[in-house]
Amino acid sequence: MENNFNYISEYKNLNYPQTIECAAKRRVKSMARNPMFSFVVLALILVVLQFLNYLGEYYQIISISSNALTTLGTTVIYSMVAIGFCLLLGYSGLASLGTAGFIGVGAYTAFFCFEQWGMPYIVCLLMTLAISIILGIAVGFVSLRIEGIYLAIITLGLSEILRNALQAIKASLSIGFYNVHLFGQSIPKSVVFYLIVVVFTVLIWITTNLINSPTGRAMLAMKNSTPAAQAYGISLMKYRLLAFVLSTCYAAIGGVMYMMYFRSLTPSESALLKLATSLNILGAVIIGGAKSIWGTIVGVFIIYGIDKLFLQNIKFFNNNPDFITLFVGVLIIVVVMFFPGGLSQLAKTAVYKLKMSRYKRRLRKYGTEE
Amino acid sequence: MFDSFVGTMLGTLPSMTVTVLATLAITLIFKTSYTTNFAQGVISAVGAYVTMELMYYNNIPIYVGLLIGIVVGTAIGVFIDVAIFRNGRNVNAIGKQIITMGMVSIIVGIVPMVFRTANRESVQLIPMINRELRLVLFNDVAIQYNTLLYLGITIVIVAVVFLMLYFSKWGLGVRSTASNEYVAGMLGVNTRVITAVSWAIAGAVGAVAATMYAGFVQMNSSLFLTTVQVNAFLAGILGGFATFYGPVLAAVIISAISGIVGFVCILVPSLSTWKEVIVYVILLLFVLWKPQGLFGPKAIKKV
Repeated sequence: MENNFNYISEYKNLNYPQTIECAAKRRVKSMARNPMFSFVVLALILVVLQFLNYLGEYYQIISISSNALTTLGTTVIYSMVAIGFCLLLGYSGLASLGTAGFIGVGAYTAFFCFEQWGMPYIVCLLMTLAISIILGIAVGFVSLRIEGIYLAIITLGLSEILRNALQAIKASLSIGFYNVHLFGQSIPKSVVFYLIVVVFTVLIWITTNLINSPTGRAMLAMKNSTPAAQAYGISLMKYRLLAFVLSTCYAAIGGVMYMMYFRSLTPSESALLKLATSLNILGAVIIGGAKSIWGTIVGVFIIYGIDKLFLQNIKFFNNNPDFITLFVGVLIIVVVMFFPGGLSQLAKTAVYKLKMSRYKRRLRKYGTEE
Repeated sequence: MFDSFVGTMLGTLPSMTVTVLATLAITLIFKTSYTTNFAQGVISAVGAYVTMELMYYNNIPIYVGLLIGIVVGTAIGVFIDVAIFRNGRNVNAIGKQIITMGMVSIIVGIVPMVFRTANRESVQLIPMINRELRLVLFNDVAIQYNTLLYLGITIVIVAVVFLMLYFSKWGLGVRSTASNEYVAGMLGVNTRVITAVSWAIAGAVGAVAATMYAGFVQMNSSLFLTTVQVNAFLAGILGGFATFYGPVLAAVIISAISGIVGFVCILVPSLSTWKEVIVYVILLLFVLWKPQGLFGPKAIKKV
């Protein structure tokens, strides 16, 4: 490994014949270096896809199937939840299986706000945040007393409590078509998609800023060594509570979006509030690489999107839908077995190897500086 | 009043036996592989499906069917340990959890392809004794012979596993591996074999538990043991994974609590929709009160 570092520093120091870059190219390059750039591009692609679907429906110009968009919407919603979970697992080292319960809290709040009380979206969002902050603080206090794998099981129990409690409050939710309001207008599913993309981008913006701030570094320190972090004056209580509050808020916002997008939910039938969701989110974060937002998004896509968007189009999988579940299971196991750092680690390794091979090629072509 | 209470408590016995067996299996795996096995439920379910398929569609006697079911459960357990865990690169505890989760996905995919799961009704897999036959204890309180059989099977299995744990060479290996895998390996314990055998026993015990559980629930999906599994995990935490007997006793306690809450719900019918919530909240309070478990030693944190 030491040798490799020397290679890279040498590679950077070598003066190879440079091409003259124009100002515009330089500006694009500096923009692309911004961590938000790729996410904004992703959001724009999603918006364009939804717009093409709209064009296809009304003007028959180009057709993007609504099912594909629903899959993308689901992926984006679960990505929000997964990014919150990423802050918890990847940056604070707290394993939680309570995600499904937190999503449920958001979904139920959305139902009561839109359907029962007829509130606008903003108020609903604020209420969700308030409830999830209280919930997050409660779980955070639990996490101060119980750690590691035990915390995962306790949060699993908590998720069961939430699921049963929500089910006892109301067994089946359904929001009327005109009851979701934004700025006084009722909005259909296609507009909710734009809203989801916007909220998703905002959440990513908050997350990228957070993980590069002193707070993010404090969380990372806490993950790597609790006693060392404490010795440096990092308050465990503050950052654990913060991590849980953030994760709960993200999950609850995901739940609100889910209710706005799908408009109905029956907890006893849907898998949304069950253990499966918590496990899938955990799986997505591990597959993607717990410290990478892009990795998390790809992981969620593998678990929730890949079967509906790609595998179902393959004839074999279409005839045997059970093979999709099997395939995803095998994929998860292979990734965890052979790429412990997740897909983001794999991508980093690939980029590194590419750079090395380019360096070696240049070395052969031009020789060393001497 | 008293009759009704005893009746409710006896009613929880069948699910208690299943929870105890599942907890035993999960504890064994937790102690040797340092992970929570989310696939325990589905591995057990496969054992039950094999038994059912052989018994109902091929007219093979239950003893043989159950034996083959146990063998299949064992084989899957050993496969996970030997083929997957051993070959993974630097797989940590959470990685192992995810692997067992992937295993759930695989088995959920395979089961409908191999077994007939559609519209499956509740079938009695242990039909040796008619379900209606019951032993009258006093007044209106009676216990089904089937429940007695379940209790008998559970007590025998738990006793055998515990005797093996404390009086056999394998048991010594398990205890030393649980205490410190690395040091146990240095002292000549073949930790690989120990772990594989633990997985095998967990698979076998799971298959028996699932076959028993199939007697009173519907087997329409391979995930039909999820509730039992969740309770078993909670039992592990409640009893403390530090000992082997703690989780098993905690499984009994959880069933007792759920029986008592069930009785209260009979008295106050408006509470009945909140029954599960009350049970889990009580468990959560217990765990918060004693984070190391009811039977675990007090942990001293060193820096």
